[in-house]
Amino acid sequence: MNVEITGLSRRFGRTTAVAGVDLQAGPGVFGLLGPNGAGKTSLLRMMATAIPPTSGRLRLLGRDPRSYGPRREIRRRLGYLPQNLGYYPGFTVGEFVEYFALLKEVPAARIPAAVTAAVERTELGGKAKAKLRTLSGGMLRRVGVAQAIVNEPELLLLDEPTAGLDPEQRVAFRALLRELGTHATVVVSTHLVEDVGAACAQVALMDQGKVVFLGTPGALAARGEGYGTGDAPIERGYSAVLAAARS
Amino acid sequence: MTAGAPAAARPVPARPGRWPTAGRLLRLELRNNAMLWMLPVAAALFWFTTYRKAMAMPPLWNLRAPSMQTGALLAFVFPVAGAAAWTGSREGRRHTTDLVTIAARPRWARLLAAWAATTCWAMAGYLGCVAVLYGVTAQQATWGGPLWWPAVVTAASLPALSALGFAAGTLVPSRFTPPLAAVGAFFVLALSTELINGSQSYWQISPLVTKPWDIGPDAGMATFYPYLPDLPLAQVMFLAGLTVAVLGALALPGGPGGTWLRRPAAAITVAGLLAAGTAVALAGAGRLDAHGMIAIPALHDAASDRPLRYTPACSHTRVPVCLNPAYAGYLPATAAALAPVLAEVAGLPGAPVRVSQAAATYRQGVGNSVSIGLAGPDISGRPPVFRLVLLDQLPGPTMTTSALAAALRSSAGPAIVADVIGGGRSPSPAQRAVIAALLIAAGQPVHGPSPSSPPAGREPGMAPPVPAPGSPAYAAARRFAALPASARRAWLARHLPALRAGQIALARLP
Repeated sequence: MNVEITGLSRRFGRTTAVAGVDLQAGPGVFGLLGPNGAGKTSLLRMMATAIPPTSGRLRLLGRDPRSYGPRREIRRRLGYLPQNLGYYPGFTVGEFVEYFALLKEVPAARIPAAVTAAVERTELGGKAKAKLRTLSGGMLRRVGVAQAIVNEPELLLLDEPTAGLDPEQRVAFRALLRELGTHATVVVSTHLVEDVGAACAQVALMDQGKVVFLGTPGALAARGEGYGTGDAPIERGYSAVLAAARS
Repeated sequence: MTAGAPAAARPVPARPGRWPTAGRLLRLELRNNAMLWMLPVAAALFWFTTYRKAMAMPPLWNLRAPSMQTGALLAFVFPVAGAAAWTGSREGRRHTTDLVTIAARPRWARLLAAWAATTCWAMAGYLGCVAVLYGVTAQQATWGGPLWWPAVVTAASLPALSALGFAAGTLVPSRFTPPLAAVGAFFVLALSTELINGSQSYWQISPLVTKPWDIGPDAGMATFYPYLPDLPLAQVMFLAGLTVAVLGALALPGGPGGTWLRRPAAAITVAGLLAAGTAVALAGAGRLDAHGMIAIPALHDAASDRPLRYTPACSHTRVPVCLNPAYAGYLPATAAALAPVLAEVAGLPGAPVRVSQAAATYRQGVGNSVSIGLAGPDISGRPPVFRLVLLDQLPGPTMTTSALAAALRSSAGPAIVADVIGGGRSPSPAQRAVIAALLIAAGQPVHGPSPSSPPAGREPGMAPPVPAPGSPAYAAARRFAALPASARRAWLARHLPALRAGQIALARLP
């Protein structure tokens, strides 16, 4: 298992963002669903080693990230797209992706090819020399994905990756997710349930810091049979699970 | 987005991986560094505050190089500290903290690359400015070579300023930090000299200081004796220590588990602080040496006390006037200014056979005041040589050659005559009258009790008192001056020993 989480909690002051989450994920695309404030981003940031958990146990890629050496090993094999992508407007697309390849300690000899591949896979080849300040929101999102995959990560964490993408790009992105999921664990946090239904093999639904559903998208859709809220089966399942959890 | 192989339609050419990782990181930072955009600002400030003023000075290395150290530092502090703070605050301002935090490469290495890029651009800009100023000076100067220590001190200041600005930006990543850091650094630097009191002040560690503080441009130092590296060495040590300490401190918050990095970082920080502290202590042990520079006993090399060897530039006059070759440009004016007076005394017993420029000596006074003058008598040696301290060797506004000639006529001229006639500071009425007569005969106006006021900071006594108009001595002087030159000379040839001994009364003057 690339992700092993046991009783993981995270508090910010008096607010509990993640409350005793248990999860396991191997290679494939794993969807993380939930309403705003459910704790998805906090969980993802802990998995990205950006913040330490308050309590609980976290093992990533078979290593314990609390120690510096293993954490550094994890980070070399990790890709992360945060919900709010920060970027340097003066960098070109190629420079930005190369910058993160360097920070992820991709071997120097492999960097040019890795940057080229990441930029091409996100369909930014024609914009490789464009300054980031000139790009649209959707293109910036793709730049974020490119920097996340430049090191060919074994664990890829994507927070709202399809935000700002047009429908055509979202379809292409789902295909990319499926392809990445063949050899890596891809955790996608989103509130767009159709993305999960189309790309994910496993899905966890979070609410108020807890996992209230864990299963396949089909099982989630099945939970919505006979429930009225939502257009698609998986949306009805999503609503039904949340309603049950809150009742 | 493509799930398979890279699309062939818009290929991005993969550059060969010939750069090592650190070089690639630095290259990226160099191409996207704020200091690059601040270079025109720094160059404009340098031109306005430093280059123009340096070019207004005589082409003497010992004037222009120290003024460049002070001026360039003040010109670069604002853009360097500001650009460094802007770069240091980048991650916070641009919300990339999470992205870079989870990178495998240590935070310290990432920050070091960004700081290094800022410093490299600042250094490149500064070296360009130095090259222009030194290049022009090399073409204009008649003697000597570039003084490198002032350039080195400013060069060592840039990494320190950059590190301080960068650290400020890293600690407080706000868009207001860069301007505040720039203004703060400027004022800290500019005010760092305010507390200097004498040559044994710890505040001399300020990289703005090149010599005894508050005496202004001083062409007298480093012409006859080497430019002492004592204070620059302490300043460079201080600046290097400060830079190392600040950069080491950047690695201290390395996140949990980063003990392996924090320990050496802490050791580096402590070592930097120790070096900086030691340098401050050394600067506090400085003293003004006789040649106008700050000597620090622990760093002092006795070889630096030996005078520089040079071949003087001499006029082809009856009494040659010889100047240090650095002042060769002043030789015609100096020789012409002294020629009438020298002609009046030439050949008399004790009259100088040569006028030779000498080094001024410096003595620390109360507070920051410094007494500057000539050690020993004006005329000395056999055959007698008049030792001249050129007014341009003394601190103060620099002079044009005509202003220098006028000032020399009213200061060195009377001194030469007085030394030949004798009487020291209290000449007899007859001696006063003869001195005044010879000056009048040399075409020099004699007004009031003193023909010239010594320049500020200069020891008085160079020019003798002359008789007041209307006094018997003044009338005798007029009478003696009106004699034919041959008659004056004949009388002096007969009576000079008695006149020098004060044995001739005023009434005995022809």
